[in-house]
Amino acid sequence: MKKILAASALALGIVAPAVAHHSPAAFDRTKEVKLVGTVKEFRWQNPHTWIEVLVPNEKGQEVLWGVELTSPTYLIRAGWKSNTIKAGDKVTVVGNPVRSGEPAAIFVSLTLADGRVLHERPARLGGTP
Amino acid sequence: MDTRRRTATALVAALALGPVVAAAQAPQAAAPPAQLSALAPANIAKARPKAPFDLTGNWFIDTSTSAEAWRFGPPYPKLTPAAQVHVDASQKATKEGKIYRDDIGQCWPAGLPLIMTRYWPMAMIQIPTAVYMVSGFMNSMRIVYLDGRKHTDPDIVVRTFNGESIGHWEGDTMVVDTTSFRGDHHWMDQGGLSIPAGEKLHIVERIRLISGGKQLEIAYTMTDPDHWAGEWKSTKRFNRVDDEDIQEVSCLPDLNEHLQSTSSKTQVR
Repeated sequence: MKKILAASALALGIVAPAVAHHSPAAFDRTKEVKLVGTVKEFRWQNPHTWIEVLVPNEKGQEVLWGVELTSPTYLIRAGWKSNTIKAGDKVTVVGNPVRSGEPAAIFVSLTLADGRVLHERPARLGGTP
Repeated sequence: MDTRRRTATALVAALALGPVVAAAQAPQAAAPPAQLSALAPANIAKARPKAPFDLTGNWFIDTSTSAEAWRFGPPYPKLTPAAQVHVDASQKATKEGKIYRDDIGQCWPAGLPLIMTRYWPMAMIQIPTAVYMVSGFMNSMRIVYLDGRKHTDPDIVVRTFNGESIGHWEGDTMVVDTTSFRGDHHWMDQGGLSIPAGEKLHIVERIRLISGGKQLEIAYTMTDPDHWAGEWKSTKRFNRVDDEDIQEVSCLPDLNEHLQSTSSKTQVR
C-alpha cells in the first residue's frame, strides 16, 4: 500500500468540495491513494455517504479502507444512485488520504468494473443563481 | 359505620388532603407572563405593518468569490489572550498535521454564526410573527421572532448554540438581535483558527433582500468581550436555491464510526 501511496502522490491543484461536517484538515489534499479492492459496504446516508473497501496489501492481507463522500444530494447530481455499488463489487477508488497514515481517505473518483468513472459534484461552489 | 372505622376514614382523608392544604398555604413563586406563541392564530392575526420582504426560500452561502466564504474573517478582530491561546494551539496542531477541537465534527452543533454558512442550504419560512430557519446541516433550527417580544429573562433563558433571536424592521431591513448563547464547544471559526464563542456573544444581523430577491445580504456585527476587542464585522451573501430541498440530516452514532477522519489520531481534543 505504501508503494501505491508513493506512486499515486501528486499535487492536485483542484478545489476540493468542502462539504464535510467536520474539519477537512485531516486529509492531505496534495496526495492521492489508489485503492483497488472489493466493496464491503456502501452507505447511502446524510450528511456523508461512505464506502468501505477491502484492499490487499503487499503481504496479501486485506486492509479495510474507509472512504468518505459528500451527501447523496450532490452524488445524485453527479449520476450516482444508492445501488451504484454494492458489497462484493470490484472497484478502484481514488482518494486523498488522512495525514495520520491510517487507512482512510476522502473521495476523489470511483471506477466501476465496467470502466465507468464517477466523481462527486461540488456543492455549489460559486455562482449566482 | 362504627367509631373505629369512622376514625380510620377520617385519618386517611386527612393524610390525602394534607399536601394539598400545605401547597395552598405555601407562598407561590411568580411565573413570567405567558407569551403568545408565534404560531398562535391570534398572534399571527394581530394588526402589523406589511413586512418589506419575505425570506421564505432556501438559501446557500455565495462562494463565487472564495471557497472560504463560509468563514467570517478575514479581517479578524484583535483577540483576547483567552481566545488567542486556542488560536495558537489550533495553528500548532495544523502545522503538525493535526486537528484542534473539531467539535462540529464530533456532532456538537455548529451554532451561530457558523450554522449560517455551512455548505448546505438553509430553509427559511417567514410568517408575520417569526422566521423559522432549518439548516440542511444537521437540521439545526433557529427561530427569529418578529412579534414584538423582548429577550427572555437571563435568569430563565435556556442557552443554546443558535441563541435567542429577536427581530424587528427598520425600513427595508430586518434587524435581528441574538443573545443567550452556549459558551462551550461553540466556535467562531475552525480549521486552524479556533476562536471560541462565549456566553457574552452578541450578534446583530442586518438582513436585506437584494438582486431582485435572488440574494440575501446579512451584515454581521458581533461582540464578545471575553474573546475579542470591539466589533467583529462581516457581510455575507446567500443565493436563492430553487432546485433543492433540505433533507433529514442527523449526526448519528454510526456516522463517525465510519468516518475515520473524525476518530483519527490527528484529532486534538
